[in-house]
Amino acid sequence: MSILMNDSTRVIVQGITGRIGSAQTHWMLEYGTRVVGGVTPGKGGTTVEGVPVFDSVLEAVKETGANASVFFVPAAFVLDAFLETIDAGVKLIVIVPEHIPVKDVLKMRSYAVEKGVFALGPTTPGILVPGMGKMGIMPASLFAPGRVGIISRSGTLSYEFAGILSESNVGQSTVVGMGADPVVLRNLADILELFENDKDTDAVIVVGEVGGEQEEKAAGFIARKMSKPVAAYIAGRYSPQGKKMGHAGAIVRGSAGTHAGKHEALRAAGVEVLESPIDVAKWAKKHKLK
Amino acid sequence: MRLHEYEALDIFEQNRIPVPRRELVSDMHDALHAAGEIGYPVIIKAQVLVGGRGLAGGIKTASNPDELKEAADALFSSEIKGMPVRKALVCQKVDIARELYLGMTVDGYSGKPVIVVSTEGGVLIEDTAKTSPEKIAAIHIEPSFGYYPYQARSLLRMLGLEQKLITPWSEIIGQLYHIATRYEALIAEINPLVVLSNGALMAVDAVLEVDDSALSRIRFPLPDRVDRIENPLERRGREIGVTYVDLDGDIGLISSGAGLGMASMDIIGQKMKPANFLETGGGITADLLYRCMELIMMKPDLRGIFINVYGGINPIHEGAKGVIRYMQEHNVKIPVVAKALGNRQEETWEIFKSGGVHVVTEAATEKAVEVLYKLVGPGGKNGGGSAKTGAKRA
Repeated sequence: MSILMNDSTRVIVQGITGRIGSAQTHWMLEYGTRVVGGVTPGKGGTTVEGVPVFDSVLEAVKETGANASVFFVPAAFVLDAFLETIDAGVKLIVIVPEHIPVKDVLKMRSYAVEKGVFALGPTTPGILVPGMGKMGIMPASLFAPGRVGIISRSGTLSYEFAGILSESNVGQSTVVGMGADPVVLRNLADILELFENDKDTDAVIVVGEVGGEQEEKAAGFIARKMSKPVAAYIAGRYSPQGKKMGHAGAIVRGSAGTHAGKHEALRAAGVEVLESPIDVAKWAKKHKLK
Repeated sequence: MRLHEYEALDIFEQNRIPVPRRELVSDMHDALHAAGEIGYPVIIKAQVLVGGRGLAGGIKTASNPDELKEAADALFSSEIKGMPVRKALVCQKVDIARELYLGMTVDGYSGKPVIVVSTEGGVLIEDTAKTSPEKIAAIHIEPSFGYYPYQARSLLRMLGLEQKLITPWSEIIGQLYHIATRYEALIAEINPLVVLSNGALMAVDAVLEVDDSALSRIRFPLPDRVDRIENPLERRGREIGVTYVDLDGDIGLISSGAGLGMASMDIIGQKMKPANFLETGGGITADLLYRCMELIMMKPDLRGIFINVYGGINPIHEGAKGVIRYMQEHNVKIPVVAKALGNRQEETWEIFKSGGVHVVTEAATEKAVEVLYKLVGPGGKNGGGSAKTGAKRA
């Protein structure tokens, strides 16, 4: 049926009383998401879009039975709120905000791994299960229910690929934004594994971009473990030199990070590499996806 | 934010890493004066934020005033990979017995800081990593525990070094890690870290790149981040809060995300050529897109404008108002094509259309770029778009 979110997902919104938090709560509810509560320290007892607001995550979890959280917390407070959320027992966390210091992300990731929490982001549009619900900011109009999984490093490109598929009458099982930062809370291969094990996903699209080595590492996983067809697109063929992590980064990563290197690694793993987003429609047709 | 070498050397010195005697100069006369105080021979190094500065002619040696005069004149009248040389560092030339390498960065895949050392420092360090991996050693640091000195000692033992080098080098690793932590560095690097003829260690180069997202909370003095962007359009982009990269084509681009912006560039590049990369991030307002239009229109000879935005977190109907307000006030005649989908898309399309913008309502960027191509016609520049300067993004 889907990965990460399902019928029993009960979502709290952290930073619900902010401008973006309240607007996005409206869109999430309108899409049918079970948003059961919100958290803003000091604003407990109020409501936003009819949803009760609590002062702490623990209180929200106790009162509402929430098991998932989506963040619209200002970047400077995300680390603190994230640790609080893990300690309250929440097992699925989506970090929408951008500009979170890398040092904080390293701590968040380390704690999430230790506590067995599945976290996405930072700088992610979140998760959307067409026709069921969403945690994050994905604009609902572009998605349609179906059997293709999408994982994207870029938020806006996840919308683009879903939109092109939907216009071609090919729906999506789940769309996952992994986050656009140089360090994210979950690696690409972990999300691919969920799709491989999901009986309602027939094929997966990876939307990557130049920089880092997520796609190269995932290529190894695909070659060894994936039975479902995988297509990939890498943005940034003509991009000027991206962020290069000094000699140390180059030494640790070898040739990883370039457009050509990613294409090569993915092709070697049997992935169909798309030269342009629009090619995804042809790929879906070839594999008779729906 | 990448610091200049002279700024990073100052920070290293304050944190007890040995560095050479040096002085920052901005013309040939100052250079001569500085060298007189430091003592010949000296090295004069262009202070430009580009990689591969040495190989591009940005570092010269002088053993007397005549040689320095010639070297300084050449440097100050040159550009290094497209960057003008405004400042140079005159450094004491030390007696080098051996060149080592020490670098730290964040390994995005493992989510941990990593320390890298090599017995073969210098400009060819990346080749060494490929040809002689046994001369390189690396160790990851657990974010929840941080760095401990034994890690440096065991790292250096992996290289088979003698103890008299391990002790002082471990101390420098500890100091550099301390700096990297305090300044929230994404890169901290000494290449080369040299062994002097008397056996002591010294950092004769310094790289420090601070995490932009942490700038507001670093409690140590930092130079202004905007000042160091050489390109005036890119500096303006930073001022208004968007990422702008100056390119050499003639199609203006506004996108609401980095991935979408890169894909748009790639697609425009199939038949035309982008004049810029611009991505707004999640903060679109009417005013912001007005200023984005103003910014991309600063380039002369634009043949068309492509706007590619999604309404997820962004209120694109507000953005559309800013675009058409600019077009009306400035009587924009070149074709403007917008693809805008997501929350409140119908409202956004109406606003764009009322201002004379060509609206595309399909998801594929290719289709919208094709509409633009038909409007501007062939004949302009084409072939992707390369950066106007080799500048590393500061």
